[in-house]
Formats: sequence, structure tokens, C-alpha cells
Amino acid sequence: MKAFLNFLLATVVVASAGAKEIKLLNVSYDPTRELYTEYNAAFAKYWQAKTGDSVNVSQSHGGSGKQAQSVINGLEGDVVTLALAYDIDAIATQAKLLPADWQKRLPNNSTPYTSTIVFLVRKGNPKGIKDWDDVVKKGVSVITSNPKTSGGARWAYLAAYAYALEKNNHDDAKAKEFIKLLYKNVPVLDTGARGSTVTFAQRQIGDVLLTWENEAHLALKEFGADKFDIVTPSLSILAEPPVAVVDKNTKRHKTAEIANEYLKYLYSDEGQEIAAKNFYRPRNEAVAAKYAANFNAVKLVTVDQEFGGWAKAQKTHFADGGTFDLIFHP
Amino acid sequence: MSQLKAAKAKCKTVSVMKTKQIKQLVLTAVTGAQLTLSALAADDAATGTNGAAQVEVSAFAADGSGGNLSDAAEIKLLKQQLQVLIEKVNALEQQRATPQQSATIQDLDQRIKILARQRELDQESAAALAKTQPKLSVGSGGLTASSADTNFVFSLKGVMQVDSRTFFGDTAVRSNDGFLLRRARPIFQGTLYRDFDFRFTPDFGGSSVQIYDAYGNYRYESWLQLRAGKFKTPEGLEQLQEDINTSFNERSLVTDLVPNRDVGLQLWGLINDGVLTYAAGVFNGVGDARNSSNSSFENNVEFAGRLFVQPFKKSDIAALQNFGFGVAGTTEHDAGTASALPSTTGGVLPGYTTDGQQQFFAYNPTAGVVLANGQHWRLSPQSYYYYGPFSLLSEYAISDQAVSKGAAKADLQNTAWQISGGWVLTGENASFNGVTPLHPFNPRGGQWGAFQIVARYAELNIDDDAFPVFSNPDTSASAAKAWSAGLNWYLNRNIRFNTSYSHTTFTGGGGAGAAAPATVTRQSEHVLFTRIQLAF
Repeated sequence: MKAFLNFLLATVVVASAGAKEIKLLNVSYDPTRELYTEYNAAFAKYWQAKTGDSVNVSQSHGGSGKQAQSVINGLEGDVVTLALAYDIDAIATQAKLLPADWQKRLPNNSTPYTSTIVFLVRKGNPKGIKDWDDVVKKGVSVITSNPKTSGGARWAYLAAYAYALEKNNHDDAKAKEFIKLLYKNVPVLDTGARGSTVTFAQRQIGDVLLTWENEAHLALKEFGADKFDIVTPSLSILAEPPVAVVDKNTKRHKTAEIANEYLKYLYSDEGQEIAAKNFYRPRNEAVAAKYAANFNAVKLVTVDQEFGGWAKAQKTHFADGGTFDLIFHP
Repeated sequence: MSQLKAAKAKCKTVSVMKTKQIKQLVLTAVTGAQLTLSALAADDAATGTNGAAQVEVSAFAADGSGGNLSDAAEIKLLKQQLQVLIEKVNALEQQRATPQQSATIQDLDQRIKILARQRELDQESAAALAKTQPKLSVGSGGLTASSADTNFVFSLKGVMQVDSRTFFGDTAVRSNDGFLLRRARPIFQGTLYRDFDFRFTPDFGGSSVQIYDAYGNYRYESWLQLRAGKFKTPEGLEQLQEDINTSFNERSLVTDLVPNRDVGLQLWGLINDGVLTYAAGVFNGVGDARNSSNSSFENNVEFAGRLFVQPFKKSDIAALQNFGFGVAGTTEHDAGTASALPSTTGGVLPGYTTDGQQQFFAYNPTAGVVLANGQHWRLSPQSYYYYGPFSLLSEYAISDQAVSKGAAKADLQNTAWQISGGWVLTGENASFNGVTPLHPFNPRGGQWGAFQIVARYAELNIDDDAFPVFSNPDTSASAAKAWSAGLNWYLNRNIRFNTSYSHTTFTGGGGAGAAAPATVTRQSEHVLFTRIQLAF
């Protein structure tokens, strides 16, 4: 028996002595697949060089709202990198998997990169779409996803709404009418931004795609610059996709330290460079300057300034019975 | 999509071809008209022909085919041919797509694409919705409903056992033959929030309804679980085997010396997928073979623990994979209570029963009342071995109990052991969890289920110091030895027929008396069991 116990002990010691293989799950929104594929490889390399441990980061993608709901329902993401703060707030308030002040834990309100909403049109811009006014014209077919489930769609909706408010001296009724006209031109709603890209680029439906700036660039890269043009409207919105560690999940998985480091590394020069290369606007000024040619100048409004923050915007526009429900009738 | 493109391409090709035809026709006509215009000029007024007629005439005139006809006939023929040609031209012109028509085609193309995409999204949505829908399944394992993510599961299972017992050569004992509803238990079990399991098992089979299992179980991982409520104390091997899987109708004499269900708290788990099973718990404490009441307020508690190893479970040695051994024990300090003594089943005083559930030993001194008073501990080494159709189970149990009767005290050590084996005649694998027929009963298809023969030998020995102060040697036996043999027929996973014969002999007892244990020990016990079991 003693020999057997010694054998067991030796087995445990040998098994625990080697380098660890750590697994992380990043629950993200739709268009970040390529960004995090590249970033995960870079981080794994960095982490192995630093600690000797190998890390394998799995990715889960979908509409930001849907992804948040999945985490609330039990998807055990170690980190969430979603399209907007409201979705992570929902995880904090409904499932209490992380503290309510999660946004204070990393610089720039835990938003290591930003983006905005632009138009992707067919090559040569046959419908002459230059700004939001052109998007609401009769006969223009607009592709966007469902703001109820997609973070990108919520940003697009708010960008259009902000434009309409500015154009109409903040007349909310006229802004609603404008947004109503816009969604009247939407023939099909996908659940996420990537789905909308498929609808527009692969299925060849619609005249204009309202999408993330990075997603528009990616479409050019994937489908060919000879197929589409990017049109930057006169006004858009500063989209701030935040990141956070899901504390309770990392505690359960014993991955808190590496999950924190994983997100912090997004702010590193390499992390910022990868973000910029994937057409996300980096926070790091030097990197931003290096990749300035990738990003058109555009007047950007923020959700806080224009809509009083995400909680209010969500309640007013996207909650059940909100403005979107009133103006959109499929 | 490709079909649409092909159709459009074909349409375009046809359109181009027809345009070319029209152009050739007009060119020919115009050329012909220039050649013959002067010849026909005189007839213009009379015939009323228009420009188109002139074109048609000149077209035909150009090939010289009308040269042998009279002028009138020729004109008539030419008119007819002209009309045909006009119709052809009109038809061709109609087939040529106008810009408006082209826009319509594009619009239709978009609509088709939108419909196709919407259908695609609807299918995705339906698939996503299906993943969120609860699932309901009905099968040999009972009725199970679960949430889509399986974090919530509710199962309804059940056990019904209808037995018969027929005793032979027991003229001194009356009213012990007959049919009985041995167990009638609905089993409600499930999972809440993925990690919390529960089980509730009442039994309607006895003379009164009893709760057998009522517990919650938190499963951090399979190796670390916490169970609280009423459930089996981790002690006897055969006792821990599910009722529906035991080899015989009744468990062996060893089960007389181990606790049944008790109320308490137990930390337990399966380490390395069950290579090692451990359990350590604290309970109210019950007498041997007792099923505790739902509450017990005493100052003492019982500690119980069990380790069971299947060292070769994950090895490649198939012959040893289902070999397991272990040891279990309990300890409790009883402070003068009768309920900590053995069960009263089969008699009116605490004692031990035969296979036929008749009491052959009781704490029945000629005067006074016996109480459990002092330390009570049990120890039970145990093992099983299953390989193919072969099964073997053995266990030993010591129940060491301090008792008192008035001022008299004793530390009584009762022991029991058993060995039982089986062979599945139809070749199925035997296991601790029963036998699953390879060919469920279906006489029309020539399938008869599985048949298993089983045999068992068991002994129970009462401490000599029990007599005569704590038990009457004239009526209570000091030992029982039982052998049993049986045939089990598994029709399918849910239905099983048992029949077995059990023979028990006694040492001691056999004296006069009108009740058990005297009536029981007066002769050997010969009993034939049958059972119809329905379990799902």
C-alpha cells in the first residue's frame, strides 16, 4: 500500500511540475474574428516567452447582445470583448459575474480601440450615396443588422439618429421620422454585423451596407476592392467596444491573472498595432499616426454626449417598446 | 442563383440574336425597296400599300420568287407575307428589354435574393431557437424534461416490485405466505442550475408511506460533491446497490448489520472517473438495517466513511476493469436508546431477519428492556468482480454495539458475511448496475431477453455475550446460515422476473413461543420467492 501511495504521489508531482497549458475563452462580437485570431496568436507567443506557459484562446462570436445573453445564461467566457458597454453592464447587473464598475479597471474606459460606422456601397456607387440623406431616399436598399441583437446595428442606428438630430436642430420627432424612413429601406435584418456583410457582399442584396469601419475594410480585403467602395458620411458615432474580465468565470477556471494580462496586452504597442492593422482605431497615438491613412476624417459624436449614455439610449431606443419597436415593422 | 444567371445570359443571347435578325431583315428590305421602288410606284394609289408594304414587296422581289405570278396575285401574296413579317417584327420588338424592363428584372432579382436570404435567416433563427427549447424524452430511462442547455433536468422514474413468498415446512408459522407489493416508488430526480442534483423517493409499498430518498447534491466536480438530506449511509456494498439491480429479491444477512437510509450530510466524489470512490458523512445515526425517521433529535451523531477502489478500471486489462474492493465504517456513541438497535422488521423487538424477512434474533431477554448504550461501530470490507456474464460480490460486516439492560452492560460484536455469484446464460455482461438484454423480449422476432442464474451463501453470527442477558437463547438464534439460488429473467431494461429459493438454518433458538423469533427458529426456513419488477 505504501508503495502504491508513493507511486500516486510521484505521479501527481510529475504531472504538476511541467509548463502549464492554459485555456481561455474570449466571448466577442461579430466582426472581431480576424482581429482576435491574429491577436491571440501574438499574445500566446508573448505569454509563452514571458512565463513558459502555453495559452490557447478560444473565440466565440455573434451579435453583441446575443453574446452577452449567452454569458448571462452560462457561457463561461473568461473575457468578454463586446461591441458596447451596455452589453457588459448587462452581464454585471443581471448575472453579477463582474463588478458594476468594471469599466474603471482598464484605461480609456476599458476600450483599447475604437471604431465608427461607415457605408459600404457597390463599386462606382451607382446610387450616388454620399451621406445619410441618400440612405433614406426611396428606392435605396439598405442593409444593416438588428439593433436588438447586434451592437454594430445599435451604433449604426444611433449614428443615423445623431445625424438627423443635428440636421433638424435636435427635433426628436423629425429624427424619428428620418430613422423610420431609413429602416423602411431595410429589406432584411441579420442578427449580427457579420451576417449583414454576408447579405450585402456575398448574397449581393442592397445598395448600401451600414457597418463598422473595420468590417467595411475587411469586406474590401476579402471580396476585392474592385467590388465595393467605402463612403464615410459627414457625421458618425464614436463606437467604443469595451473589454472586461469575467471575474467569476476566471475564478472558477483559475485564469484571473492571465485573463487580466490578456486584456492589458491589447494596450501594448503590439496589441495596438494589430488592432490598427485590422482597421480598428487605436488609442495609442503613435500607432494611430502610423495608420492614419486607413481612417477617413469624420465628425464623431459620442453616446454620452448625444444620447445621455448607453443605459438611457438602450431604454429609449432598443428596449421592448422603445423607438426601434415603434418605427420598424418588418 | 446560378440558374438565374444562366437564364439571364440565355435571354440576353436570344435578344442579341433577334436584334441581328431584325437588322438583317430591315437592311434587306431597304435595299430591295430601292431596287424595286420604281416598278411598284404606279400601283401605290390603287393598292393603298404603305411603306411597310413596299419594304415587304421589295424583300420578296429581291429574291425574284414572284416573277411568274400576275400582278394582283403577286401583290396579294406579298401583302400576306408582309403581314407575317410585321407580326414577327412586332414580336421581336416586344421581346427586346426596355430600360424599364431591365429595371424590373433587377428589382425581381433583388426580391428573389431577399426572399432567399430571409429564408436562410429564418432557418438560422429556427435552428437557434431549437437550441433554446426544452427537450422532452420518454424511454426506458423514464420521462425526462430538460432545458436546452441541460442545466435544468427533471426526471420521473419509478420502481414497482410485486413479490410472492411461499414458505415450506413451517407449520408453526402462520400467515407468512402470500403476495406483496414489496416496493412501489415513484422517483423524482433532476438537476437545477447545472450543479445541483436532487432526488425524492417515497415508497407506497409498505403498510405506510415512507420517504426513502430526499436529498440535494451539489456537484462542484464529479470528484467533489456534497449531499444533504436522507439517503443511504455509505456502508454496505449490497445495500448501496440499487434495489432494482440486486441478484435476489432480498439482500443477504450482511445487510442486517449495516444501516439503510439516514438523514445527514456527506462529502463524496469519484476520483479519476471512479477509480477511487470516497464518501465521508455525518448522520443522525440509525440502528442496523434501519431506515431512519425523518427527524431524530439526539446529542450524538454517527460518522460514516467509505473508500472503494477499482484499480484497473481505466487499464487495458478487460478482465480486471470491473474489479473493485473497499472498506466502509461507521461510529456513533449511543446514549441509551432503543432506536439505535437493529430494525424491528419481522418481529416486534429490535433484531435481525432472514432472507424471508422473518426475525430469527431479537433483543428479547426474559425480563427487562435492552438499549443501545455506548459505542456502536461497524466495519465492512467489501469487493466485487464482474467480467462478461460472470459476477461475484462479497462482503463482510462487523457491527459492534454496546448495549445495556438495567445495570448490565456488554459490548456485542455481531458479524456477517456473504458471497454471491451469477452467470448470464445469454451472454450479456453482468455489472453492479444490472444486466441489459442484448435481445429484448419479442417472441414474434424470436427474442427472449436475458437469463441469469445466481447463487449466494451468507452467515450471520450473534456475539455469544448477547445470551442470555440481552437475548433469550431459547427463542433467538445465535447464528443463521443461508444459501440461495435463483433464476432472473430480464425481458428488457424495464421488466424483470425473478424466482429464487432460499434455505436458512439456525443455531440456537427453537424453543417455545407464539411469535418471532421463536416461531421462526423452530425450523429451518425454506422459502420460494418470485418477483415481477417494473422499473423505468
